[in-house]
Amino acid sequence: MIWIIAWKNIWRNKVRSLVIILAITLGLFGGVFSSAVMKGMVEQRIKEAVSRETAHIQIHNPKYIDNNEVQYTIDGEAQNLEQTLDSLPEVKGWSSRIKFQAMANSANAGTGVMIYGVDPEKERQVTEISAMICDSCGTYLNGEKKNQIVVGEALAEKLKVRLRSKIVLTFQDQEGTLTGAAFRICGIYRTSNSVFDEMNVFVRKTDIASLLIMNAQEYQELVVRLSEPDQVTDVQEELTDGFPELLVRNWKEIDPMIGMMADLTAVWLYMFMAIILLALGFGIINTMLMTILERTRELGMLAAIGMNKHRIFLMIMLESVYLSLTGAIVGMALGYFLTLYTSYTGINLSSFAEGFEKIGYNPIMYPYLDLNFFITLTIMVICIGILASIYPARKALKLNPAEAVRSE
Amino acid sequence: MNIIEIKDLKKIYNDSEVAVHAVNGVDLSFKQGEFAAIVGPSGSGKTTLLNLIGGLDVPSEGSIRIDGVNIGELSSRKLINFRLNNIGFVFQSYNLIPVLTAYENVEFIMSLQGYDKDKRHSRTVELLKSVGLGDRLNSRPNKLSGGEQQRVAVARALASKPKFILADEPTANLDSKSTSNLLDIMEKLNREENITFIFSTHDQRVVNKARRVIQVEDGKVISDEAIQSP
Ligand SMILES: Nc1ncnc2c1ncn2[C@@H]1O[C@H](COP(=O)(O)OP(=O)(O)OP(=O)(O)O)[C@@H](O)[C@H]1O
Ligand SMILES: [Mg+2]
Repeated sequence: MIWIIAWKNIWRNKVRSLVIILAITLGLFGGVFSSAVMKGMVEQRIKEAVSRETAHIQIHNPKYIDNNEVQYTIDGEAQNLEQTLDSLPEVKGWSSRIKFQAMANSANAGTGVMIYGVDPEKERQVTEISAMICDSCGTYLNGEKKNQIVVGEALAEKLKVRLRSKIVLTFQDQEGTLTGAAFRICGIYRTSNSVFDEMNVFVRKTDIASLLIMNAQEYQELVVRLSEPDQVTDVQEELTDGFPELLVRNWKEIDPMIGMMADLTAVWLYMFMAIILLALGFGIINTMLMTILERTRELGMLAAIGMNKHRIFLMIMLESVYLSLTGAIVGMALGYFLTLYTSYTGINLSSFAEGFEKIGYNPIMYPYLDLNFFITLTIMVICIGILASIYPARKALKLNPAEAVRSE
Repeated sequence: MNIIEIKDLKKIYNDSEVAVHAVNGVDLSFKQGEFAAIVGPSGSGKTTLLNLIGGLDVPSEGSIRIDGVNIGELSSRKLINFRLNNIGFVFQSYNLIPVLTAYENVEFIMSLQGYDKDKRHSRTVELLKSVGLGDRLNSRPNKLSGGEQQRVAVARALASKPKFILADEPTANLDSKSTSNLLDIMEKLNREENITFIFSTHDQRVVNKARRVIQVEDGKVISDEAIQSP
């Protein structure tokens, strides 16, 4: 019965209750949608980083990571490793890469780049670079022609080259001798991360192996793509156990910035919501204090006829929780629907896009939130409702029934 | 046997500069089935005395025994429970929970006592009928007249099956017709069901209905007489 009385009580002063409910609604609506935008941005960035840059897992000769020199390859275990990967059901695709640093020069300019010597068919199964080439920007490493190269748009601009231009790559072979070759640009890709685009170029593995004096079976890097992102730790563990001489790293370890971002966002969003709720909590306290002040005589009467302190406390606490929850549910629902809608349409930020792309963000963002967020948020709202009722309820319990009943 | 026994009761308010002896040495006892009025000028200590008997306030000195229990010795938690199960209250105003109907107001006290829904239902209807409100079960207090509200309060006070009912100026806000109506109902309940009523009043017409009149002045009982029924 107390549950019903509490619910009816919050509608006694409709205007006052609606004011605080509206404040909570707006606070949560704004909070939920901002969280969805932030979370969407981060998720998208992570997805893009994984599908274009890091893949889920990378395997190296540990010395290569320390020294970055071409002679530190995976060779002895290569065949065994490839067979293991082929047998793992979680693995969607893998690609072995020859990876090394070089100077790229055009007629106009020069810059340092990272060269990836890949098997195009295998690479397609792991990274989406091949899909990042627009219709008029050429193709990925197709066809039979030798010495083709795929470069990023930012690099092409820097070197002032176009499709089918030639660039010269200069690098040291495995024996330390300076060598080089001319490559023709067959495709220009563009991801949302222009720093990545400026740095990384793709060539056919077979073209580059001989120049480096490497045998065809060895390579510096093997990247793995999984069907489900949450299988990363399991597969990583399995590979680490199977190949203790190799360094097996997941995407969070490969790109610690992205990894940290993923972990921090979760915490940050809850902190963000907690701050909003805390602010609203003071509003609830104020509203509850007013209702209690108004109902001094009634509360005194209730205590007089035998309603004990627990029940009075429960009633006031429920009123506070109802107020918070009513506003919160409406606010969360509005936030949810706006998130749902914009997750289909996307939010176009291209007017600020240049800045965004420099830091690796896609100019069209898709807000996103998971069910867990709403569940946790609901629990947080209930907690705030309870916390906000403690001070007003204590005031109510201090009332002496004789005094309360007497006061005119 | 006495259901209430008051010995040398004193209540002194110290919060102002001069101590106020609101109740200043009262010895009284009440039997089951009494219909007693406490009268006296304003400020004589009627409300204070009733609040002490009802366990709403703590005596400064002396003792109150209800069915042998010294209520001054009960912890505040036990005292609330004691009030719930042993004492019915009717106040001058603000008796009812405004968001509940007459029916729910009466039912509420039984739900506090933990009675199940069926028991609550039959008793609530029966009590509201006995105070003449059988047709107003679903009215909220703001749709009831002052007299009707006080009758709901009497029904609510009876609902918990208390040992006695305390009413502090129950008719002070009522017109004369409602006053006599309420008094008639209280008298009938007293006569037919042996319910004990102790009430304070300023109103001579109410005093005339009482079968015992206790006069207080300056916190002391100055006369206490039984009236022979005519
Ligand atoms: N909380 C308090 N603090 C100080 N004095 C009080 C307090 N409550 C009551 N008094 C004083 O105690 C005395 C008795 O008051 P009480 O209300 O019991 O009188 P009463 O007979 O009920 O008067 P009335 O007929 O006006 O209702 C009065 O002088 C009053 O001012
Ligand atoms: Mg009084």
